Amino acid sequence: MARSEEQLKALMVRGLDGDSAAHAGLLRALVPLLQSFYRRRLRGESDVEDLVQETLIAIHTRRATYDRGRSFTAWFYAVARYRLIDHLRRQRTAVPIEDVESILVSEGFEDASNARMDVGGLLATLPPKQARSIRDTHLTGKTVAEAAASAGIGESDVKVSVHRGLKALAARVRSTRHDEY
Amino acid sequence: MMNTDILIANLSEDVPKVSRHAVARRVGTGLLVGGMVAMIAVTTLLGVRPDLHVAMRGFAFWMKWTYTISLGLGAAFAVTRLARPDTRSLQALWILAVPVLLLAGVCINELARTPPAKWLAMWLGKSWMACPWLVLSLAAPIFVGLLWSFRKMAPTRLRAAGAVAGLAAGAWAATIYCLHCPEVSALFVLTWYSLGIAIAAGLGALIGPRLMRW
Repeated sequence: MARSEEQLKALMVRGLDGDSAAHAGLLRALVPLLQSFYRRRLRGESDVEDLVQETLIAIHTRRATYDRGRSFTAWFYAVARYRLIDHLRRQRTAVPIEDVESILVSEGFEDASNARMDVGGLLATLPPKQARSIRDTHLTGKTVAEAAASAGIGESDVKVSVHRGLKALAARVRSTRHDEY
Repeated sequence: MMNTDILIANLSEDVPKVSRHAVARRVGTGLLVGGMVAMIAVTTLLGVRPDLHVAMRGFAFWMKWTYTISLGLGAAFAVTRLARPDTRSLQALWILAVPVLLLAGVCINELARTPPAKWLAMWLGKSWMACPWLVLSLAAPIFVGLLWSFRKMAPTRLRAAGAVAGLAAGAWAATIYCLHCPEVSALFVLTWYSLGIAIAAGLGALIGPRLMRW
């Protein structure tokens, strides 16, 4: 039973006005949306039904936080995503890569800019030639030939520096990850 | 595990009408109850300044109240925004810098009209060591009131929500503290009031993620 934003919003608003049949209809219509949302993000996990029910309860108990003037689906998926993040936090499992971007946004821009600063910090730990080659070819978007010309070294030298530098960075990131968790 | 259909039937048994202003009302109630506790603390423990009725006819008192109340209103608005699972940008919160900048303007004017030899005394006043801590202490009950408000809310940016709740608690605590504090310098207010308010906001950001989870 696929529903549109307009239909879901109308049910929500009637529920907020005290119409319990509309409220029940809304919750029933949200079940398949939640199931596919969580199934796509919790591959092979059996917690989907628990999470669907938790989210239905959250939507019911916190329905006052929906602003009638704004998109219902945006509110709904923000609640669903929060329940997912909280669930993953409790399970202490890794957050799927596809969601990191939205989690960064929801946690505030500081974290995104910290990530950018991390790259600068990591590059500073490399020999200057490797750092420069990576910065030129991967961050500022130069071609290998342009990077070689601007650094005054050969093209194969640039390629080898990038390769070695990235390998060293990967090893470093892996070891700091182990320290953190 | 309970069947989802039964759960929905149970949840739909109790569907009270929800006002459009439910969030603002609940945040307002939390601020008001916490503010009343802070008010009782000022009147019984610190004491209202005896010359309050005279002070209320002067510039300094209203300079202080304009600063703390405008900050408090802005922060309370930010709280209602962050109490919802909103994905909108937080850029609008820069408006909270306006009261600070206006007060900084008053400070420059004040410094220009005071001989430099008196600047230090003006800056430290008589209560600079106590002021930030008293503001912070008075913010505690207001912050607790806001935590009560948040129990029915759905914040998704918990650190930011904690920070603005702390900011609102600090600004309203400072507003109430004005009833006791006899200081008259804008430079004093900009430094020591703001310090207390900022510490409240920082602590809010620190403990928000732990206390506002749902």
